[in-house]
Amino acid sequence: MFKHFGIVGAGTMGSGIAQAAALSGVDVILYDINDTVLRQALERVKQDFRKGVNRGKLTQEQTTEAFGRIHPRTKLSDLKHCELVVEAVIEDLMVKKDLFRHLETDTKPTTILATNTSSLSVTAIASVLRHPERAVGLHFFNPAHIMKLVEVIKGQQTSPEVVQQTVDFAKQIGKTPVVAKDTPGFIVNRVARPFYGEALRLLGENVATVEQIDRIVKDGAGFPMGPFELMDLIGIDINFAVTQSMYEQYFGEPRYRPHPIQKRMVEAGQIGRKSGQGFYKYEETK
Amino acid sequence: MAKRTSSLKGTKHTKDTKGKSGHAVVYIIGDSPLVEEYARLCAGKGYAVTVHWNEPPKPTPKFDEDSIKIGKTIPSHASVGIELTIANKEHKQKNLVTLDKALAATAPLLCSSVTVTATEQATWVKGKHRLVGIGALPSFTKQSIVEIAPTVHTPKETVDVVLHFFQSLDKHVEIVQDRVGMVLPRILCQLVNEAAFVVQEDVASPQDVDTAMKLGTNYPKGPIEWGSAIGFQHVYAVLSAMENDLREDRYRISPLLKMLSQTGEWWKKH
Repeated sequence: MFKHFGIVGAGTMGSGIAQAAALSGVDVILYDINDTVLRQALERVKQDFRKGVNRGKLTQEQTTEAFGRIHPRTKLSDLKHCELVVEAVIEDLMVKKDLFRHLETDTKPTTILATNTSSLSVTAIASVLRHPERAVGLHFFNPAHIMKLVEVIKGQQTSPEVVQQTVDFAKQIGKTPVVAKDTPGFIVNRVARPFYGEALRLLGENVATVEQIDRIVKDGAGFPMGPFELMDLIGIDINFAVTQSMYEQYFGEPRYRPHPIQKRMVEAGQIGRKSGQGFYKYEETK
Repeated sequence: MAKRTSSLKGTKHTKDTKGKSGHAVVYIIGDSPLVEEYARLCAGKGYAVTVHWNEPPKPTPKFDEDSIKIGKTIPSHASVGIELTIANKEHKQKNLVTLDKALAATAPLLCSSVTVTATEQATWVKGKHRLVGIGALPSFTKQSIVEIAPTVHTPKETVDVVLHFFQSLDKHVEIVQDRVGMVLPRILCQLVNEAAFVVQEDVASPQDVDTAMKLGTNYPKGPIEWGSAIGFQHVYAVLSAMENDLREDRYRISPLLKMLSQTGEWWKKH
């Protein structure tokens, strides 16, 4: 059983992970270089806990105890007693590599060093470690305190014991782990590509309209959202960037080739709900 | 269940379009599980149904409904003919030619067009005007929507009859362009194909792929589960047709999916 868990980066993802872990009874050291970001993270957790109590999903006692288990820190060396540390910082390979280098010296030799990356190679991040076998991917989904799934990613040099312990940890904090090899997109981001890619091709070939495709997919197979509604929600720019990254990482595999429709929409600034216009119009957000 | 006593709105048959029981008659032929699914759907909405399989499934379905008959003879007074072969083009062609000869000239012919466009199927028959493609895949018949694709020859009157027919089955209809794979089959089969590549490359287990897609993206089913429900041989047939029709490498089929189409999920048998 894991007792001490460290998180580096107190953004939306980091605070969500902290919330889930603290609720399951694990002590969390939540590190961020920026004290203001830490305070904001704690406020977010507090608000979410309050919502949980108001909806009757959590008790006041549970949330008070869980909140007390989250320890905000601004010194990396405070993570030294953690059995597992996950980083949830910006998706930048150099930043993550640099962080892992520091974590290796600031933690115990047995501490598992995990990355929450969704798009970078776990193997590349671990390459800076003297002991890359202790590095693993632990990919949470947003919102991390609600989504049950975590992808546990085996880097090229990750030891089987570390994979197993990370799976056990994910279960301990109430998540459902799935194990994947360190390949671009892991499972979810890769298998989901045709959902968007084929829909864009159908639209490009004028087989059906945006509205028709969304209706057929939802009412025909029970998807909660159609591909165009979902792209609008995710952000067409984000979806385009992920597809482009997959295409490049697979050295031009045609299955992941981005579609010009998406590129034009990004160029036009029609990137979905957040801009008020994507495949649909969102008057209220303008 | 109230019997459907009227013939389809818009059909102008020279003979009575009702069977002896007074039900409007539908004839269904093919070699996929869709034959059984559509038979039950139509019978459930008051139609008298006659079904025939090119190769009867084993075990052959037993119908408790009195309104479903198994028989090769096509009732000439049938209001609608439905051809539901997915993979075997030879069977499909033979079935359509037989239906075209036997049915009244105004009766529409609905044909599964996920592997062959309805327009191509229309080249096989004299009554080109009566063909309308449907995007049917096994296990989705209970859904509330159906996509149809009229051919370039299909007049509005025939489309109206087909719309009325699906309305009588409580289905919302989306009219899409007549292309191989149509909309849902094309998207779903590509999802299954991608999942098969992931399993084949040992990136993750089939169970983990399904779990990941259900919990990570709220898919109602995992892609491997879908493949199994549709039938991997049908997924393979749709993808093969897309690969041949669109001539794009992005429709290359996972070798593992090909094996699944031949053997099913062998890992479940041990």
